[in-house]
Amino acid sequence: MTPRYNFAFLDEDTKRMLRRALLKAVAIPGCQIPFGSREMPLPYGWGTGGIQVTAALLGPDDVLKVIDQGADDTTNAVNIRRFFARVAGIATTERTAEATLIQTRHRIPETPLREDQILVFQVPEPEPLRTLEARETETRTLHALADYGLMHVKLYEDIARYGRIATSYDYPVLVDGRYLTSPSPIPKFDNPKLDHSPALMLFGAGREKRIYAIPPYTRVESVAFEDHPFDVQQWDERCALCGSGESYLDEVVVDDRGTRMFVCSDTDFCSQRTEAQA
Amino acid sequence: MLAAFANPVFDSQRTFRELLQAMARPAVPRALPVLPPAPESVAPAAMAILLTLCDAATALWLQQPVGNALEHLRFHTGLRVAQTAKEADFALITAPDAMPSLQSFAQGELRYPDRSTSLIVQVQGFRNEAGVCVAGPGIRDQEMLHIEGLPADFWTQRAALAESFPLGIDMFFVAEQHVLALPRTTRLLEH
Amino acid sequence: MYVAVKGGEQAIARSLELLAEARRGDPAVPELELTQIREQLRLGVARVMQEGSLYDEELAALAIRQAAGDMLEAIFLLRAYRTTLPRFGYTLPLETDGMRVRRRVSGTFKDIPGGQVLGPTADYTQRLLDFDTTPPTATTSAEAPLPAEMPRVLDLLEAEALIEPADADSDPEPLDLTREPLTFPADRATRLQNLARGDEGYLLGLAYSTQRGYAESHPFAGEIRMGEVDVCICPEELGFSIEIGSITVTECQMINQFHGGNGVPPQFTRGYGLSMGEGERKAMSMALVDRALRCDELGETAHAPAQDQEFVLSHSDNVEASGFVQHLKLPHYVDFQAELSLLRTLAKQQAADSGEQPLHAAGGLHA
Repeated sequence: MTPRYNFAFLDEDTKRMLRRALLKAVAIPGCQIPFGSREMPLPYGWGTGGIQVTAALLGPDDVLKVIDQGADDTTNAVNIRRFFARVAGIATTERTAEATLIQTRHRIPETPLREDQILVFQVPEPEPLRTLEARETETRTLHALADYGLMHVKLYEDIARYGRIATSYDYPVLVDGRYLTSPSPIPKFDNPKLDHSPALMLFGAGREKRIYAIPPYTRVESVAFEDHPFDVQQWDERCALCGSGESYLDEVVVDDRGTRMFVCSDTDFCSQRTEAQA
Repeated sequence: MLAAFANPVFDSQRTFRELLQAMARPAVPRALPVLPPAPESVAPAAMAILLTLCDAATALWLQQPVGNALEHLRFHTGLRVAQTAKEADFALITAPDAMPSLQSFAQGELRYPDRSTSLIVQVQGFRNEAGVCVAGPGIRDQEMLHIEGLPADFWTQRAALAESFPLGIDMFFVAEQHVLALPRTTRLLEH
Repeated sequence: MYVAVKGGEQAIARSLELLAEARRGDPAVPELELTQIREQLRLGVARVMQEGSLYDEELAALAIRQAAGDMLEAIFLLRAYRTTLPRFGYTLPLETDGMRVRRRVSGTFKDIPGGQVLGPTADYTQRLLDFDTTPPTATTSAEAPLPAEMPRVLDLLEAEALIEPADADSDPEPLDLTREPLTFPADRATRLQNLARGDEGYLLGLAYSTQRGYAESHPFAGEIRMGEVDVCICPEELGFSIEIGSITVTECQMINQFHGGNGVPPQFTRGYGLSMGEGERKAMSMALVDRALRCDELGETAHAPAQDQEFVLSHSDNVEASGFVQHLKLPHYVDFQAELSLLRTLAKQQAADSGEQPLHAAGGLHA
């Protein structure tokens, strides 16, 4: 632990500011709450929002897991885990079931989460309407009026053009029937895990200086049409390591002839299964 | 002058985690881990919440600014005092039967619904039986909830307020060592 | 047999070693001393202090050395350190009227009270590479010291009511952008604060665009001054202000044409720029962009990028921009897989619709 810095790096004023914003975020599910995002010793776009949320939550009894792309051992996940081990001296784990706090980029673990766990998402762009309307002043108004016509038009145009909705990740959701919300760039495969999750889910966007939340047991619908219902990715293949046919798969190019193999993106889920089979 | 949290960094962290879970799982009481000393009119559980969330960036409105409560809070948190309920980030209600109407607090703005007052209400007690039936985000099915000592028309006011969601106010109720939250999303069911 | 990629932690450790080695260069060459950087790379130090929002030459020099001369990385290092510092108080507004001027020029009048003072400027060097080492030079002392007080050029115009009045006392208390999020519309104090922290290159490009027709800009450099100003605080328990030191700043006041509107008669208007240390290019760019961003207040039609405050202010910060542009090198396997799978589905569907075989590449080969 580095004694020159406060526990979990942030000063107590900053933690209080974050904690107040987090409580509001939970009280208004899916609504983007502006907060005084600080400059962190990691670059913007690399998880500064998630890191600030985690720092505001973290206590000495926590067990932290950090994943990126579902994996504990990707360099950015390693770096963030190292950071908290250094500035907070807390225990870390790679096992989903052992963690009290999980910070993630781009995935929700395959292992079902429990009520006593909190999932913290790193969010690059919190505004689900941003690619359709660049101006924050406009999108704020659209949220105020719950006017999500833009998104419906976009999805409808997809259908007209491609015969289906052509959004495969960061697939927008409606939280508790009110706020259109970005689930962060998770594959739409993970969207069903947001609905009525036993675990609290917090989202931090450091560069964009906004926090939002999906409380447990909250209705989360992926936006779709009756004649084009929401569906998730499916593979013909199974995981080459653990044989799972129900997890999200990464595609790996294994030779210069373009041969592919598929393996679980969630490395903990995969290794638990492989160990059980051994 | 009384002391505050014995271990400010960790006591406020542990308290916050309970407050967060309370807000995420409305209507269910949770035990606060640390009860700091508090001046006469302020319940130790309310004191724990104020110490955890207030500082020079927040304005507090006191329903009954009696005794040395204000000096104590100012000394330990540096908080500002709100002259009116509408300007307050937090409001401490020490006599709930005589509390002002919910409409007198800030409800937020449509573009920034978070700019609202959060209430901390000291009550005699609460239990998850009889009373009203509530549902909403954070509640798996529904909960029964009885809170003692609230004004007779409290639940009618609360129901009226729900109409203007996402505007609204979020409340913490404290009794003894316990805290229970009622965010603006919690809906009253007909019963 | 394929095994899942492991060893991220080791890879990071090895990479850090390589970075340290590359940063140090040939160990036979003595390491740069911070005083050398402070003394001989002062303009780099000034930029890092300015965009790092921290006036500390020593730390800025340290950051430049640690970043191997990458200014944006040095700015980032300084910002990340700054954010951990406790706040003891806020200074009173700087009184640049009382600046101990070392340079002061005006493009609007041939001579001005107090005179044109070139000071240490690169403006009239001939940009010939000097292949010799630089021996110490003796400077020639002026025959008379510069006047202690130099009136401002713009005050002369204000006295004649030819320029919009500036009333510093009417300014609202500015919010602190390092503690509170930027929201729109932003008032002028907030905009200036954002521009002051903004990337010099970005502001330079925007400022240039305003001169090329992408805004209603007809600027004159009313006055540019550089020198030392005192920094004062007024502690609540004292009740009076005390001087805690002095810093070098560069200030630019632009004069812009204005045709009148919104009930205001035709008169000159102001654009303002301020930079810590010697930062003339930054201060001038800032002043041009500040003026362009005042279009709403002055009733001008906003049609150019530099007049669009949400666009300008949201993209000015180089620490934010650098992080987000570069985050694309982080793994995006999961999203990319989602897109691959979508494209394959679409390709199969199209092939089925047109009765053709799907493209080989779209199907892939599986091990």
